[in-house]
Amino acid sequence: MTTGLTRQFPGGVGLDSLSIDVAPGEVLALLGPNGAGKTTTVRLLNGVLAPDAGSATVLGLDPVTAGDELRARTGVLTEHAGLDDRLTARENLRYAAMVRNLRGPAIESRIEELLHRFGMTERADRLVRGASTGQRKRLGLARALLHDPDVLFLDEPTSGLDPTATRDVVELIGSLASEHGRTIVLATHFLGEAGRLADRMAVLDRGSLIAFGRPDDLAAELWDGMECDLDLGGSPSAAAIDAANAVSGVRDTTPHARGITIRVSTPDVVAGVVRSLVAHQVDVHAAVPRPPTLEDVYFEIEARRALETPTTTPPPTGPPAPPPMRKRVRT
Amino acid sequence: MSRQRTDWVAVRGVVGKDLRAVRRSKSVVIPMLAVPVLLMIVLPAVIGLSARATEGVGVDRLLTSIPGDLAEPILSLPEREQLIVLVNGYLLAPLFLIVPLMVSAVLAADAFAGEKERKTLESLLHSPIRARDLFVAKFLTAFLPAVAVSWLGFVAFAIVTNTIAWPVMHRMFVPTKLWMVMILWVAPAVATLGLSVMVRVSARTSTSQEANQLGGAVILPLIFLAVGQSTGLLLVDTPVAIAIGAVIWAVALVLLRGGVKRFTRDALVAQV
Repeated sequence: MTTGLTRQFPGGVGLDSLSIDVAPGEVLALLGPNGAGKTTTVRLLNGVLAPDAGSATVLGLDPVTAGDELRARTGVLTEHAGLDDRLTARENLRYAAMVRNLRGPAIESRIEELLHRFGMTERADRLVRGASTGQRKRLGLARALLHDPDVLFLDEPTSGLDPTATRDVVELIGSLASEHGRTIVLATHFLGEAGRLADRMAVLDRGSLIAFGRPDDLAAELWDGMECDLDLGGSPSAAAIDAANAVSGVRDTTPHARGITIRVSTPDVVAGVVRSLVAHQVDVHAAVPRPPTLEDVYFEIEARRALETPTTTPPPTGPPAPPPMRKRVRT
Repeated sequence: MSRQRTDWVAVRGVVGKDLRAVRRSKSVVIPMLAVPVLLMIVLPAVIGLSARATEGVGVDRLLTSIPGDLAEPILSLPEREQLIVLVNGYLLAPLFLIVPLMVSAVLAADAFAGEKERKTLESLLHSPIRARDLFVAKFLTAFLPAVAVSWLGFVAFAIVTNTIAWPVMHRMFVPTKLWMVMILWVAPAVATLGLSVMVRVSARTSTSQEANQLGGAVILPLIFLAVGQSTGLLLVDTPVAIAIGAVIWAVALVLLRGGVKRFTRDALVAQV
């Protein structure tokens, strides 16, 4: 939990009055562009940086006064994995273990187990220097898990990875999240992985928290109603669009090559639209709800934020315009 | 708040990792070994062989230009012994203070700046090792090789010098009690003095090269001051030599302690 967590740097604000809470076992995605304050947040939460104002409590400990004790219970994968190229994979893990005051047969078998789990057994005794970015990330994850941490901080875990390696790492993180109620704080600007893994999201921009919550809740705040794709087997006729628009509760219709996307006030309106279309001799092949993804929510928040940010030009006179709705982007 | 004990397992982990990595780098190891071998073994061997090969190299003119306290005992020796005793017994003494520092300055400069360059610092700072222990570990990574070079180099120097000079000297003339004080007591103090400054500089710079440049500028005057007096140290009484070493130790430990106190994760990670 953080309250008003603030950190300034000579170049400007790193983090400005961050107040969030994360439940045990939860996956929190810290989202935002480069320089948003994600890495600063991780550093403050793990007691590596001290705040200028505000406070944090992680695992019941104050990172400022009990940083060493806290770091003994957290694991971190930094953006660059932070492995020593001059050592082998196994030596990197042994080194990390010793720095944590872990040694003996138990830690040796733990190292073997992690090397096996992360597919690094064959590379275990080769220098890290020749390893691919994906192998480094996997080894970095293995190192972060060496002491079975209660909280895992993952800072840009898939940056620099090709699609296959990204999928592997995201799957690994997904499996870690379900283990032992472990809490994961995932700092990323890749929305795909956050969407797959996160329970809640905190959107940062230039050090400020601009949105925090479950993607569904944030979506409900952003958009009125829900979207549904109606597959009509081809471009809809004007009559079909009129039939859909005529149903009470339909807010908006958008035709496309395979049918119509409708925005409705409540899910039961979809059934009424289907009935109306069928009554107008329009075949409905499928009706697929399109709940907003984390990506949709993020881009909508970013777009609104950009429009709210004051510019150097004087604001127009007259009544304020309603917040614009941005067309969703799907991948 | 109670003072926490040093976590020696963690310290050993950092020192072991750094030294293992150094051992694997030929470009670091070869110059580290070549300089001490050249200056502590080859040079005294050449001096000894020169003295053996000639009936006596005139060092009178040289002796007239050095302090009388040093010249007098040498002038009283047979002519063939004068060159060996002057060079190997006295003039090479500063090397045993300078060479270990030359060798380990690279390691000290690399202490934190190297971690920054290799992008390994942040993950180290996210580990539970105490800041104080981390600083101590980085200092020891440079200090231990410095002392090893100094002590092993002196053992090799003593063996080579006495062996080669035996036909001339017919006795062991190093180590003397004062040499022992200098090697066992003063040399580690000078190493601590220089390397603690160098490690502090390394924590504040972004690259090892910067640390080398800046650290060199800071420690060189201190080192020259210390080594400039080292030949004279071989002329004083043993208690005086011990006292001089104690003063250097005191200054070195104040600097080291200051480095430990001012060393924080926060200051370091803000530069990453």
